[in-house]
Amino acid sequence: MKNRKTWIAPSVLSLLLIASLIWGYNQYRIREQYEVALDNHYQRLFYDVRDHVQKVQVSLSKALLASTRERNVLLFTQIMNDADQARDKLAQMPISHADTVTTEKFLTQAADYSYFIIQKHMEGQEITPEQREAIKSIQLNTTAFNEELNSLSNSMIDDNFLVGMANAGRRNRDNDGGSTNALVTSLANMDKEVAKAPELIYDGPFADQMINRKPVGLSGNNVNLEQAKKAAVDFIGSDRIRNIQAFEQGEGVDEMRIPSYTFQVEDKNTRGVLTYVSVSKQGGKVLNITNTRPASERNLTVEEGQQKALDFLKSKGFNNMEPNYNLRYDGTVLYNFVYTQNNVTVYPDLVKVKVALDNGEIVGFDASAYYLNHKARSLNEVTLDQEEARNMIKTNFDIDSTRLTLIPKGENEVQCYEFKGKYNDADYIVYINAETGQEEQILQIIQNENGTLTF
Amino acid sequence: MKKFTIITMILVVVFSAFIQFYEPGFDESEAYNYSYAPRTLYWGTSGKDVRTVQDKLLRWRYYDGSVDGVYGARTYRAVRRFQEKNGLNVDGVVGPATARALGMPEAFASPASAQGTNRSADEYLLARCIHGEARGEPYVGKVAVGAVILNRVRSPQFPNTVAGVIYQPLAFTAVADGQINLTPNKDSINAARDAMNGWDPTYGTLYYWNPATATSKWIWSRKVTLKIGKHWFGI
Repeated sequence: MKNRKTWIAPSVLSLLLIASLIWGYNQYRIREQYEVALDNHYQRLFYDVRDHVQKVQVSLSKALLASTRERNVLLFTQIMNDADQARDKLAQMPISHADTVTTEKFLTQAADYSYFIIQKHMEGQEITPEQREAIKSIQLNTTAFNEELNSLSNSMIDDNFLVGMANAGRRNRDNDGGSTNALVTSLANMDKEVAKAPELIYDGPFADQMINRKPVGLSGNNVNLEQAKKAAVDFIGSDRIRNIQAFEQGEGVDEMRIPSYTFQVEDKNTRGVLTYVSVSKQGGKVLNITNTRPASERNLTVEEGQQKALDFLKSKGFNNMEPNYNLRYDGTVLYNFVYTQNNVTVYPDLVKVKVALDNGEIVGFDASAYYLNHKARSLNEVTLDQEEARNMIKTNFDIDSTRLTLIPKGENEVQCYEFKGKYNDADYIVYINAETGQEEQILQIIQNENGTLTF
Repeated sequence: MKKFTIITMILVVVFSAFIQFYEPGFDESEAYNYSYAPRTLYWGTSGKDVRTVQDKLLRWRYYDGSVDGVYGARTYRAVRRFQEKNGLNVDGVVGPATARALGMPEAFASPASAQGTNRSADEYLLARCIHGEARGEPYVGKVAVGAVILNRVRSPQFPNTVAGVIYQPLAFTAVADGQINLTPNKDSINAARDAMNGWDPTYGTLYYWNPATATSKWIWSRKVTLKIGKHWFGI
């Protein structure tokens, strides 16, 4: 009996040891497989970025030579596509955002700028000397980037820095991207080079001017915290407030799109219900109100709610607001109202109001788009009449309604005829420029259970 | 004693075999059918399809509320019970697998040119990211996180899709450690929806960080605009 006992314990232990060794080796192998797969993926991304940047560079130099608009349109379509692809793939690599932020921006704007040039060409315009300079500067940057990527890929023959990249992500996170990886260093240098290039001035969704746009609908002096608090209290009604406090601001507050104060309000009647209010610094206007009270019952119809919202807007001094589409959620409906001037629907001046259908209370209000865009406009008499505009659209587009609208076009606004209708059983809105007859915009309307969305 | 050692040895062998050959539960049929998803129903959605779910669950006695077409707490609990009984992933969300188990129609009838165009997939992804990143934050802080993601989509410095921004390497800790895969609660879903509908408490801000845990030196060079809860928002 004693004899037996002596061999049992060691054999159990050694079995355990063998089992855990096998297990460990297996884990190691699996991990290695994953790492190789990930490394391969990153290598693919790197080579793709290099190829796309190279194509951008070649197409740009061709575009500088090309003398016809037709050729240029084709070239810039390629540039747009390749620059977009390069940006997309660069963003998927495990590199800290801080090291590639300017390069990413450069590639996005290169694509965006190409789209801008294509649009100009389509409208029959030639490239201006300034635009030619801008294209040259994009080309210079692309060339530098291309050289950088090429020398990187040459050095990969000796020392493949992309192997082990799967781990680099973890390292980067720990020590703030301070990795000695050749790729990261090189991209960080590139990023600094690109930052020196002049800002691109053009009209497109990713242009600096569009992003740094300041509100035009706010006027007056800056208000201080106390004045802003008073504006918030007046807007909600002091009888409904138990307690109001402001969120702390940072020193960069003036660089927000709309510099503002944000408050948290405790409801007097219902405990635990919070309302958030933001008030603009300039002029002290209430930009947004959100009441977090949940509502699930529906005692009002959507139309009755809309009337409540309209009355609310009137009481707050928003006149000439026209109901647009709405979205229904649980027991609330979000209504969109658009400003009208001389029967022209001014789409940029948008105000949203959310109404709870249980008791008709206004639980949400957002006028930030309105204050961003609203200004005194002089709307010219349009040159095209409705019939002429209608002739610009496919004859089998089945039109339900037509009206004159003002829609945003880049930094500007254009007057358009809006045609709502059906084509191939789906709903669309087509905008025809009321001056030139151009097709400015086509929106597809998607109806779902909650309401209407446009794409 | 002898019995004991033999049992131990058998257990060890079984255990090691289990560890080596076990692969986490992965149902292939579920993985391949995602692309046909009609519409994912979750807490907060409403509509005809929610009514169908409630009606079916009521008849099978999982649900005891009214068939009102609003996906609320009761529907959520009923769906969870149903999933538990039927061996489905218990998450309270009516996805493709649960919908099939319920015997729901596979797709909506919409015109061919508009089919599949929907915002709710992005909305749900955004809700998951908000839930992972800002679970314990005040509601306005959750919306602000969603708004920062959407501001990034519109910024030239970042990818221009919601998924591109959320899954950008090294961008969000909740994505890196898998917390994004938690099922979002109602607050997060509402916050995602408010952000998608245009509420931006940060007014164009691109970054946020938690001053207590942020490790990147670079992030400290950003200018702070607003502080909500544990997060600092900045440009």
